Amino acid sequence: MESLNSATFDAIRLLATGDSELWGIIGISFRVSTTAILISIPPSLLLAFMLANGRFPGRRLLISVFSTLLSLPAVVVGLTLYLVLSRQGPLGDLRLLFTQSAMVLGQVALCVPILVAMGHSAFQAADRRAWETARTLGASPLRALLTVMHEVRFGLFAVLLAAYGRIIAEVGASMMLGGNILNYTRNIPTAIALETSKGEFSQGIALGIVLLLLAFGLNGLLHYFQGKGRFAT
Amino acid sequence: MTSFVNIQFSNISKRYRRRSILDGVDFKLHKGQCTLLCGTNGSGKTTLLRIMAGLEKPDTGTISTGLGEIKWRSYRRALQAKIMYLHQHPYMFDATVRQNIAYALPHGYSAAERDKHIDEALQWADLEALAGVSATTLSGGESQRVALARAWLRAPAVLLLDEPMANMDQESRLRTHALLRQLKSEGMSIVLTSHDELQFQSLTDRQLRLKDGRISTDSIQTQAENVSAFPIGQTARHHTA
Repeated sequence: MESLNSATFDAIRLLATGDSELWGIIGISFRVSTTAILISIPPSLLLAFMLANGRFPGRRLLISVFSTLLSLPAVVVGLTLYLVLSRQGPLGDLRLLFTQSAMVLGQVALCVPILVAMGHSAFQAADRRAWETARTLGASPLRALLTVMHEVRFGLFAVLLAAYGRIIAEVGASMMLGGNILNYTRNIPTAIALETSKGEFSQGIALGIVLLLLAFGLNGLLHYFQGKGRFAT
Repeated sequence: MTSFVNIQFSNISKRYRRRSILDGVDFKLHKGQCTLLCGTNGSGKTTLLRIMAGLEKPDTGTISTGLGEIKWRSYRRALQAKIMYLHQHPYMFDATVRQNIAYALPHGYSAAERDKHIDEALQWADLEALAGVSATTLSGGESQRVALARAWLRAPAVLLLDEPMANMDQESRLRTHALLRQLKSEGMSIVLTSHDELQFQSLTDRQLRLKDGRISTDSIQTQAENVSAFPIGQTARHHTA
């Protein structure tokens, strides 16, 4: 208990004193995960909308595939992409393995199924009249889509939070594709795994605190917007 | 008002699963006329209206204008600016009444012009007092007036309304009637559905009765004079869409 208390105290001190190594790891984590989710959002939400409102061959199969991929283990994504990006792999010439780009690819592969499957459910909850009304009022398909997204914004925001929470905390894909290189590909979860295996709990606890604060902050933001929020036409 | 070529729908059929909803319907949209589609529930009124609005694709049938037959995709693309469809329960975006009406205003206006036109539309539908209210909290009659104010602002050549007075009290019915009359007087072609033809007798020029997916009666109405009990819908229009 005493060692836990002292490790927690050290963790808070590391955060408060602006330890450059620690904040470097936090920066890499946010940069990689934010890039991954920004890349994933447009195609995923568009596909989610089409799955919810379109009628085309293979639609049900696609819904089943993305729902199944929700439970895809991060290490499986890491292993698959490792094989694709390694020297002997089909994309080996791009030399992406053990780079932040590879980590981004892994996290995109993890968050796209979440955005599509859960986004599909959020769009299904939308009133079909929202789309029809927007179109009959002269909105372009893009504007009508943005209008429908606004109508289901709280559901979509919850989807984004779930996806971001999943990728910023995953360790398997980042470890295998990034290689856990200090100041380059070491992010919060891989650093926690490494420091814990070395018996250095302070940095692990400090990074854990950051993840918890992030989750708390994002959820607070969601509840804040659910209580407010009007849109400008 | 946008110029509009008469549209002819020929031999329109539509099935849902194994049930036939429309079975070889012929219908012509006449410029400036108000047409009532009446019939019992399930007779195909709403489906025909939604096909006209481009929201449902017919299984069979042809659509032609004065320029000849056009494909479904072209019809949908061409009609967007010309036809407007109002649901039985008009959808209100999660925004204020003013913002809901503003949505209908075409692009290309300055901020001052937009405000002026929106103010006119609010005044036209007697909605000034509700301008800042959340539109999702409105009653059925108030929502219908917002929807009609959007139609007035957008000024389509054809306005399609699905049961516009369903579940309304007498006062809301009179207000809606007055606004529809005003839209018609501005040259807008109107097609509306109702299972109660008497409600619209003074407004309609033509009445089509649908039965089992077919048009059973097509009659020309003789309109009775009807002076609105509500002094609404009389704001002058200062713009064209």
